[in-house]
Formats: sequence, C-alpha cells, structure tokens
Amino acid sequence: MAESTPMPARRFDPWPATIFVMLAVLAVLFLLPTAGVVLSSLKTTHDISMGDLWSLPATLYLGNFREALSNPSVHRYLLNTLLVTLPATTGSITLGVLAGYVFAKLPFRGSNALFLVLVAGMFFPPQAILVPLFRMFNAVGLIDTLWPVIVVHTALGIPICTLLMRNFFATVPNALREAAIMEGASEWQVLTRVVLPLSLPALAVLAVLQFTWIWNDFLWPLIFTKSDDKRTIMIGIVNLKGQYSVAWGVQGALSLVASLPTLAVFLFFQRYFIKGMTMGAVKG
Amino acid sequence: MAELTLDRLRKSFGSQEVIKGLDLTIADGEFVVFVGPSGCGKSTTLRMIAGLEDVTSGAVRLAGQDVTRTRPAGRGIAMVFQSYALFPHLSVADNIGFGLSLQRLPRAEIAARVRAVAETLQLGPLLERFPRELSGGQRQRVAIGRSIIRDPRVFLFDEPLSNLDAALRVQMRLEIARLHRRLRATMIYVTHDQVEAMTLADRIVVFNEGRIEQVGSPMALYERPANRFVAGFIGAPAMNFLAPGCALLAGLAVPAGAREAGIRPEHLALVAPGDGAGGSVELIERLGPETFAHLRLPDLPDTVTLRLPGDSGVEPGTAVALRALPDRVQWFDAAGRALAATRG
Repeated sequence: MAESTPMPARRFDPWPATIFVMLAVLAVLFLLPTAGVVLSSLKTTHDISMGDLWSLPATLYLGNFREALSNPSVHRYLLNTLLVTLPATTGSITLGVLAGYVFAKLPFRGSNALFLVLVAGMFFPPQAILVPLFRMFNAVGLIDTLWPVIVVHTALGIPICTLLMRNFFATVPNALREAAIMEGASEWQVLTRVVLPLSLPALAVLAVLQFTWIWNDFLWPLIFTKSDDKRTIMIGIVNLKGQYSVAWGVQGALSLVASLPTLAVFLFFQRYFIKGMTMGAVKG
Repeated sequence: MAELTLDRLRKSFGSQEVIKGLDLTIADGEFVVFVGPSGCGKSTTLRMIAGLEDVTSGAVRLAGQDVTRTRPAGRGIAMVFQSYALFPHLSVADNIGFGLSLQRLPRAEIAARVRAVAETLQLGPLLERFPRELSGGQRQRVAIGRSIIRDPRVFLFDEPLSNLDAALRVQMRLEIARLHRRLRATMIYVTHDQVEAMTLADRIVVFNEGRIEQVGSPMALYERPANRFVAGFIGAPAMNFLAPGCALLAGLAVPAGAREAGIRPEHLALVAPGDGAGGSVELIERLGPETFAHLRLPDLPDTVTLRLPGDSGVEPGTAVALRALPDRVQWFDAAGRALAATRG
C-alpha cells in the first residue's frame, strides 16, 4: 500500500502580494489627477479657492457642467474636434491599411527599405517639423483653418498605422489570399472580404489609439488655428479660464465632458479586442 | 474538362533555377500525382499551373489555349490547399459559395448550388457552422466543396491530406478517388505520401531537382523504374542497392556496364543455411500482415531490407541466409540509368 504523503505546508509566496500592491499604487497615482478634476468639477469656484482641493464637496454642485455645456463656444470646439478627429482617424487608418497590405502581402524590390523609411517617420519630434509645416500651410493660405490639423494628423498617423497593420496582415496566412484569388477575387476584394474582416482587432486598436491621440492633441491646433471659432476642445478648455481668475470648476467639468468621446470609442471597440483574443484561443 | 500541357516550363527565383524545363501532357480526365523529395519543384509546378506563380519561360496550355499569362481565376482551375485555406470569418455555406458570390450570382442560385455541393460531400448539417467548429476531415471536405462548386476544368490538390491523422487520411483518400470517378475531371495531386500516389494516380510524375525523372502508371514506375532515383524513391521500404560482386548477387549474370543492382524487399527470400548469402537479423518491424527484417551482411556497408510474412518468427540476432529472385533484380549503369527491364 502506498504511504500517504503529508500535505506540504503552503509556503507564503510574496510575489502576488507585491505585484498587487505595486499595481494598486500605480492605479492610485494614475487616477489621482482624474479624481482631482472630478472633485473640482463638482465644487463652486469659491469652494475651490478656499484651497481644499481634495475634500469631498459639501453639496453636489452641477453648475460647472451647466456653464460649460451652455457655452456656444464649447459647442463649436466639440464640433471642430470632431471635424478634425473623424477624417484624420479614418484617413490615417485607411492609408495605413493600404500600405500595410502592400508591405505584408505584395512585397516588391526595395519594399522593406521603404517600409523602414516610412516607419522612421514616427521618430521625428513634432517640434522639428513644426516651423516648416507652419510656413508651408501659411504659404498656401490654410492657416486658421482645420485643414492643416487634419492633414498633419493623417500624415503623422500613417507610420504607426502602417506598422501595426503590416504586422497584423503578415499573420494572415498567404494561402487565404491565394485561395480567394483562385476563386476570382481581385486584390481589393481579397483585402476587403478576407483580410480586413480578420483584422478587426488590429483595426479596433488603431481606431482607439488614433481617435484618442487626435482628439486629445493640443499642439497642432494651437499652431495652425488662431480664431476662437477654429479652436478644438483641448485649447477650448484653456480658453475657458476667466479674465482675472482661473475657472477651475468649469475647466474640470469640460475636461470630463471632453474625455467622454474617447471613452465611448474605447468601450465600443473593446468588444473587438476580446473577439480577437478569443479567436486566437480557439485557433490554438 | 480539358487536356493540360506544360511546354518547356521553367521557373527561376533570382539566379536560382528551380524548374528546369518541364514537358508534360495530362489527358482530359486523368488523375496525375506529382511526387518527389522536398524542394524538388512539384509544388512550384502546381502553383505555376494555378497561376499563383509567374512562369519564367515556357507555356501552360489548357485545352490547347495558352493560359501562361491568364490570371488564376480566368483559367478555370480550382485548388485545394494543404492548410485548407478556409476563410475563418465565413460560415461553411459562405466558404463554399465564396467564388459564386464574387461573380455576383443571385443569392438563391448560390444557396441552391451550395446545398447541392454540401449534400454530395455530406456537409448539409454543417452549413451554418464556422471552420473553427469543424474537424480536420470536415474542413477538408469544405475546401473540396469550395473547389467543385465552380465546375472547374482542372483540380489541383497541394498535399491536401498531410494535416490529417492516419485513419482520416485513408477515408479522405477514398473520398477523393470517388470524387474523381464521379466528376471525371482532370486532377493533379501533389504529395510526398507514396501510398496516396500509388493508390490514386492514373499516372505518377516523379520530380527531382526541378526535373521530371519519370512519368508512368504506378505499377510501371514500381516495376520498371527508369533510373536509380525513381527506383529508390518509389516503394516503401525503399529498394536495396547493392554493388555487383557481393555475396547476395553471386551467380547472377551482370549485364555489361552495370555498376549497381537494385532489389525490392519482397524480391529477397530466406533460404536454408549455405544456399545463399549469410547474415544476421539486426532489426524487425512487425506491421501485422507483413514483417520487415533489416539484415546485416558481412560484405555490405548498409543493412538489407527483406519482407517476410506477418507471422514470421524471425527475431533480432538470428543468423539467416538469403537469396535474390534473379529475374527481379534491376541493374543500373554508372549514371544511374536502368539498364534493361529484367522482366516484361
């Protein structure tokens, strides 16, 4: 008969606890500014100016939100941001998809070198191209319109979109493309009917990244627009400060409102991240 | 359905020529199997016939029409891939009807034709499923369904059964044979599996280093190989190759110019001690209906393989004597060419 072995004593493993504490500290650090904004958005300017930012408001004051949302300029800022973000996100992703498909599935002589050059575009600091771009758009009379912002965001998005899509397309087996071609598909049909439907996770990641980055951008609208009715929401938040005092509460409220679209986009596309993960799990 | 002709077909990747001038005619309705070692060019040839690979020089003709520069879909050729290449985001029905939907046929017609194909392949109950919900054999049947629905002139199979387990492979092999009998279509099948080649083919094409070594019926290749390569490649276990002068060939008439003899395992027989070349059994492989014995002979560097009945009691280490059936020995010259058929 086999001897019964005593149950080994469970030794305390410090790693899970350590990692949990580190993650908790990081989460608090990341959430603190947001908490500060939420708290200040729910207080009156008087309460905030008393200096106690971190205390809970005595009463739930929604006046800041009312003030921010009833301001016609804010409507204009939001519309302008949408007018920049939607075409620039769509444009950069579309171009990235097309370029990525060619680099992944239709390589040609020198395509790897060209791909490296394109991706190297990511490493240009915006400050280095700021003045030439301003002069160029000024020369063609587009300063103080939304066009330069759209064009620059589209162009700056191409490297990351191409990189991500090329790498994702490379994981789609060539046999699928060839099978579709044997069935009579054109290259465009291979892309739209086979490869893109399989690339929803990558498209979702790009859509969230690009939308968030362009929506939250401060620099390019600041450089290329001047008049208040051409400003985007991030500059609009700064513009909301009062003449003699800073309207912390209203700015906080508008910051929260301004972050809602990016949150909505993330929540909408989240399902595709999960779908992508489960697809991989099933494939094994 | 159509006759397919390859005319001095060549293919180079950069400076490396991988297909070195192929001439081959495949008759209408014929089932031809391409075999050869890895990298011999059989799959590349198949892809050139399909149009998935550009032809460097030469021509591919289908029913007399030059299709060398015709796009793949315009050739009327269907292909079944080794990996099945099913579209994972489409249902079985959409996979089978993919080509028809590209042709913008009416939905009702596509559905009817998909149903008809699915019935013949016993896929009827699976039409709404996705490829990830199917077994390997079912996926392969979907891939075949997708290829037959367009009623192509030629079917190409690129190692279609190599991802299946042994039992399923036998079953699918029979299904492909039935499919060929029913459709009477021209089929070209690439495999490295000898059993598939021997059982399915009307004719086998043996490839080696971008050239065709021999074309012929399975039994013709087995019994009358044109050269040492074909003799060694066709047949499992492989033919035994012996130098003239060894004890096993003692007493046999060696044709002029012969540098090597080839004897298949079943053409060797155990005899009483003293009546043949002596050796010892090194290893025994029992397969059930038959047993293969690997024998060590003192004057040969390699072991000699011998086929025995399944119930043979020979054990490793046993001393034995064996003899070759004289009229079954193949002789090869210095260049590896078969000298003369030793039997008709």
